[in-house]
Amino acid sequence: MNNMVFGKYIPVDSLMHRLDPRAKLIGLFLMIAAVFVPKSWWVFLFIAILITIALLCAKIGIKMIVQSFKPMIMMMIFLLVINTLTIRTGEVMFMIGTYAIYRDAIFNTLFVIVRLLLMISITTLLTATTNPLDLTLGIEWLLKPLEIIHFPTHEVAMMVSIALRFIPTIIEETIRIMNAQKSRGVDFENGRLSQKIAAILSLIVPLFSVAFERAYELADAMEARGYVPGAKRSRYHILKFRFTDYLFILICMAALAVSIASRFYL
Amino acid sequence: MPISFRSLSYIYNKDMPYAHKALDDINLDIKEGIITAIIGETGSGKSTLVEHLNALLLPDEGSLQILDYNIVAGQKQRFLKPLRKDVGLVFQFSEYQLFEETVIKDVAFGPLNFGYSIDEAKRRAAEALKLVNISEDLFEASPLELSGGQKRRVAIAGIIACDPKIIVLDEPTAGLDPHGAKEMIALFVSLNKEMNKTIIIVSHDNEMVYNYCEETVVLSHGKIKYHGPTFDLFCDRQKLAEYDLLEPQIVTFRNALIENGFKLSKQARTLDVIAKEIAEQVKR
Repeated sequence: MNNMVFGKYIPVDSLMHRLDPRAKLIGLFLMIAAVFVPKSWWVFLFIAILITIALLCAKIGIKMIVQSFKPMIMMMIFLLVINTLTIRTGEVMFMIGTYAIYRDAIFNTLFVIVRLLLMISITTLLTATTNPLDLTLGIEWLLKPLEIIHFPTHEVAMMVSIALRFIPTIIEETIRIMNAQKSRGVDFENGRLSQKIAAILSLIVPLFSVAFERAYELADAMEARGYVPGAKRSRYHILKFRFTDYLFILICMAALAVSIASRFYL
Repeated sequence: MPISFRSLSYIYNKDMPYAHKALDDINLDIKEGIITAIIGETGSGKSTLVEHLNALLLPDEGSLQILDYNIVAGQKQRFLKPLRKDVGLVFQFSEYQLFEETVIKDVAFGPLNFGYSIDEAKRRAAEALKLVNISEDLFEASPLELSGGQKRRVAIAGIIACDPKIIVLDEPTAGLDPHGAKEMIALFVSLNKEMNKTIIIVSHDNEMVYNYCEETVVLSHGKIKYHGPTFDLFCDRQKLAEYDLLEPQIVTFRNALIENGFKLSKQARTLDVIAKEIAEQVKR
């Protein structure tokens, strides 16, 4: 359970970690657009180089990014199969038995796969270098314009940040209860269906009771410190754009510009 | 030796940039039939050590012998169930593991898992509940309705009912009132003395450790700093300072008596014996 890489925050200090979460969010959108616009391999190479530089600046191993690709392998195989069955244009590349495989099918699939991989790298880069709470602050800021139509941005951001905050706690709690039940002879991996149901029950019931208890405690603690939903709040942690943040956004904009230009000139 | 660690190491998040060596080259032999305490600051590796005793964590390096079971790094384990039956592990805040509709069913849950018949499991459960002072009229109550202290005693009964040879307790008295804590300790002492169980207690409570645990292991940053008689550790001011431990009240009292000219033997560890020896010297 602790081995999930996708979306996991890596708490080290680096240039990327210190960037403003809002800058990183804007950068994420710009770069994803930059990945989806071009039709040239050269632009993909250019973006891949940018991502590698960002990875080095973020002190995240390439190994971790490769690990985050793993869950996508099935989807890629699925894509390849569907595409070879449906795309029947371009020249014939080779034959499998009597079935012709077309050049466009292979190339289109490769294109989509490279786009997906680049997109996952960018997203992993964001989540690995941004503390979840900072991320929600950034999202709240981005949603600000919606307040004109009375969208409860602050409440939504608070809910998201509480949910994010409690994911590790609940995982920890789950592991603890699982261990306690294993010590009482529960086998979570093997056994007949009835045994498995009993095993799951011995995990779910305590987990629920703990989760509810935590929720009540949190609500009390928030009220005790004067939290009123919807009230105007000041902030302890104030986000501030600095020179590096502007530079970062500028680089992302440049990348997007290059990929748009490639549609006209390459 | 029922439990021996041989150059055992364990690393959390092994392949991550923030890998952390929680246990570092542990060599440790825990004696049979006595109460051993494991102490050390938060994050020193106490809980990691304890989880190895039930094969909940498997060593990354080295090996571990528990009773007749041998756990070697990198080997697949086959005897998890018998091992977990023979080593009962009571977790920190064990009250959160209760889930059945009734107290008796919850306590019988472990024995049932380890292959006892329903009648036998219920009989063992009733016995264990009596041992931890839960009265019979609570047997059919829901465990979620009990008080915190009662819940914890029911959770401990759930382990005792499995009839383990070794009982490991992680912070069993944390969050209990002094009276409840005292009762809890009395229970462990009687399990040790009367039923001859080997008991390992992880604790922050130096007073309790001094008063009831024969041997003590001091862990710090995943390494063993001291293992030996509890009395020798707490009477050695240099060691206490080195490991940043608080002196138990009785030891402070004992030292003050010695500084004021009384002669106390090595047996004078408890208040009763100290009082007796002083009384004799005063008479003379």
